[in-house]
Amino acid sequence: MSTRRSERLQLMQGTLDVLILRTLIFGPEHGQGIARAIQQSSDNELLVEHGALYPALQRLEEKGWISATWGTSSNNRKARFYTLTKAGRNQLAHESTKWRRLAAAMSRVLGPEPEKG
Amino acid sequence: MSFFRHPRSHEDFSTEIQAHLDLEADRLVADGWNRERAEAEARRAFGNVALVKERFYEKSRWVWLEQFIQDVRYAARTLRHNPAFFAMTALTLAVGIGLTTVAFTVFNAYVLRPYAVRQPSTLYQIGWRSQKSGGKAFRWIDYQELRDRVDLFDGVVAESTRFVTSQGRPLAAALVSDNYFDMLGPGVLFGRPSLERAEGNAVVLSHQAWSRLFARDPAVVGTDIDLNGHPFRIAAVLRPEFVGLDDSPRDIWVPITTYAALSDPNLIGVTERRIEITARLRHDISVEHARTALTPFMAAIVAEPGGGVRADVEPATRNPLSLEMLALFSPIFAAFALVLVTACANVSNVMLARGVARHREIAVRLSLGASRNRVVRQLVTEGLLISIVSGFTALAMSALALRAGVAAFFGTLPASVGGILRLVPLTLDHRVFLFALGTAVLATGLFALMPALQASRLSLIDAVRGSGGSGRHGSRLRQSLVIAQVAVSLVLVVVAVTLARNGIAVGSLNLGYQTDGVFSINVRGSDGDLLRRLAPLLATDPGVAEVAVTGGNPLFIRSRTIAAAAAGTRSAIATRYTFVSPAYFSLLRVPIVRGRGFFANEAQSEARVAIVSEATARQLWPGDDPIGKLINIERPEGRPVDELPGYEEVTVVGTAPDLVSGFIVDGLDPGHIYLPTTSNSSHAIAALIRGRTASDLGPNGLQDLFRRVAADPEVFELLPLEDLHALQIYPLKAASSVGFLLGALALILSMSGLYGVLTYMLSQRTREIGIRIALGATPGGVVQLVVRQSTRLAAIGGTIGLVVAFASLKTLDAAIHLNTIALIDAAAFAGGIAAVMAVAALAVYHPARRATRIDPAAALRAD
Repeated sequence: MSTRRSERLQLMQGTLDVLILRTLIFGPEHGQGIARAIQQSSDNELLVEHGALYPALQRLEEKGWISATWGTSSNNRKARFYTLTKAGRNQLAHESTKWRRLAAAMSRVLGPEPEKG
Repeated sequence: MSFFRHPRSHEDFSTEIQAHLDLEADRLVADGWNRERAEAEARRAFGNVALVKERFYEKSRWVWLEQFIQDVRYAARTLRHNPAFFAMTALTLAVGIGLTTVAFTVFNAYVLRPYAVRQPSTLYQIGWRSQKSGGKAFRWIDYQELRDRVDLFDGVVAESTRFVTSQGRPLAAALVSDNYFDMLGPGVLFGRPSLERAEGNAVVLSHQAWSRLFARDPAVVGTDIDLNGHPFRIAAVLRPEFVGLDDSPRDIWVPITTYAALSDPNLIGVTERRIEITARLRHDISVEHARTALTPFMAAIVAEPGGGVRADVEPATRNPLSLEMLALFSPIFAAFALVLVTACANVSNVMLARGVARHREIAVRLSLGASRNRVVRQLVTEGLLISIVSGFTALAMSALALRAGVAAFFGTLPASVGGILRLVPLTLDHRVFLFALGTAVLATGLFALMPALQASRLSLIDAVRGSGGSGRHGSRLRQSLVIAQVAVSLVLVVVAVTLARNGIAVGSLNLGYQTDGVFSINVRGSDGDLLRRLAPLLATDPGVAEVAVTGGNPLFIRSRTIAAAAAGTRSAIATRYTFVSPAYFSLLRVPIVRGRGFFANEAQSEARVAIVSEATARQLWPGDDPIGKLINIERPEGRPVDELPGYEEVTVVGTAPDLVSGFIVDGLDPGHIYLPTTSNSSHAIAALIRGRTASDLGPNGLQDLFRRVAADPEVFELLPLEDLHALQIYPLKAASSVGFLLGALALILSMSGLYGVLTYMLSQRTREIGIRIALGATPGGVVQLVVRQSTRLAAIGGTIGLVVAFASLKTLDAAIHLNTIALIDAAAFAGGIAAVMAVAALAVYHPARRATRIDPAAALRAD
């Protein structure tokens, strides 16, 4: 288990925000759900220490990109649900374009993936 | 926007995290884990819970507040444990802040002018203006007409100001229309300020008059007060803030119609223009509109030869703040602020020394992980706490100081002047309050920030080890503060001594005539006829030895000048002139030097003869006998003087000595021409009388005489010439007293500053001195060590002070030209130097003694 964890990708600065916004596009979700969703949608490639999520959520909330209300989860537990705001949606569109361009540029620079020896 | 959102509580955040852990565990249980392991795994996946919570806490906006409260608590505890330090610094600052607050309160009262009435900004004074002149005085019927202009105004009040007598005491009375208080709505202490008469003649008292006349007796409302011999009923007492709408505070408000019926029917007649009109403009009417709308009315009631009369609608409650006003106030303010600066320097010094003493404490806090920023904040908070306490102390002190100052002011003024002089109320309003607190906070920046930065910039290792090492920088800072203090006190002392010596010099100036026993009588208002009726009566009074009438009494500041030239020459000189009756010279004990005085028949016919002062004689006919010579009197442009028709040429019949008749500080009149007149002439506007004995003519002795001429005796202003003399010197005396006070405070502060630095130096060099003593240094040598340090600081500060004092007095000297005032005064500079030397000697005494008693063994064993 621990070996698998170390192989996962460490998140770069600022990427977590985009991941959270992207996750919330499917509708309101609580913190634990977001963490799970990020892990699953990246095929378990991205390492998110769940705790790291909360300062990011707090930051996004302060910026007005997401809003939060207390609600009840599917298995009847009280949880704080986050919703993407209009400003958040715009921000996501903006950030996605930026990331795509960056990723494309990076892969162009690095060239085709070499065959594993 | 996010700032105003309700902050999230820590509890809420903790609940969310707990929910997360539960959900994750649920999820794992659903995956087939057992509950216990699932919970452990959820926790592991989450990471450090405490760290996340801490980060949330640090990010929340209220952290600084909490830290601030911590700082305040800590500071309060520190200060409680050092009561002597706390009391000393807070008191020192309070003196400085209190002094500037006093200065500001006076500035606030006279320049910023708080108007304690309802909606002061909608009040306008109505007047008229033409090409050549203008005016603000109207007839009663004009007021009645304006009062009905509801299309422009929400209300209009009439006012006429004069002095009235209440059992021999003059009261500044505002004779006002009945609606005055209803429209202005000033604060009321007791009663109802309604002049709409129910029964009897209602009057309203100012707070000042209530205090002065009735010793603040609250039962005064409903009782009677005598005005000019008629009983009036006191309806109300006002709060201290309101004393009237202009510069001269009133004692009492009297319904104008009642007053006129009793004492002065012409006041509300159809001819005399003695009413001033203030209106409250309707909110939907612009000033411009009102001006246009009133212009036809003004043109109809004011007959000006040139025509072109326009209405004037000026704000009635404008404050007179202007650049000149600021220029006038700034040197005074600077003197007060300098004391505050010395106080700050002193406290700053103490803080610096304390910062060194607290090295270890600060070092420990720094090494335990406090940021430098946080340590500085902590120290500044301590300073802030001291400032706030001293700010409030300062407010209390300035309230007391103002009361004492006003009492001293009236106590030292000549009694006759004190009776008719009124100060506007010096209230500590919200502006003063904010000023004091603002100054306190600013002072914190001056005295606390620098030492805090200094203290936090220390080498941890040195400090924890205990070797002082404040660095040369700190001690240099301390020394320059003391140097600044010494410089400031020297400047203040020099200025104070200069003013005091000038006051004495001006006071002992020989005026050229005898003022004692002589009274001046002027007519208040413009009714010249009153003097014509009074003068013959004065001559019949058994107490009066001599009477003279004049075109203006000596020592009043109004002077009239003309251009006079010796007949046949073209070079005219500006010369003061005065119409006097023949008795003038003998009454003032002024001898006629050459020629003769005026004859009675010359005075009756206002003959074209003149007596000139010796200076004028010298200027017009140098080295020649002036008697019998002719003087041409003209305007500088060569046209006849309007006020002196037919005086183009006068013959000199005598010469009189040079007198000081205007501003005493101007010295002897540069020239004077006397022309003859009698009380029948319109040239006579004032009278001088000399009693048979000095005690014959008390202020009340002539009241009955006055009453025979006018229903209202206070239309005559009776003042001893001696008091006018004293009044002219008064500003110099007052300024030098204030200067001495400030100088003395600054000296005391710099003495304690110097003392502090020396003591501190001694504590730093105890070991060195111990070694010196052990190696055989004599007590004299050790004393010299301390003295040298003190002398050096005092000498540098003194030199700077001398240069600054000399430069500023020199600038001032160039700006003002007063014959009797010498601003560069060697004695004053000597006095300043002596004061600084004395301070240095006093400050050095105790530390020097201590230095000689250092026990070498003990000093070397320390640490």
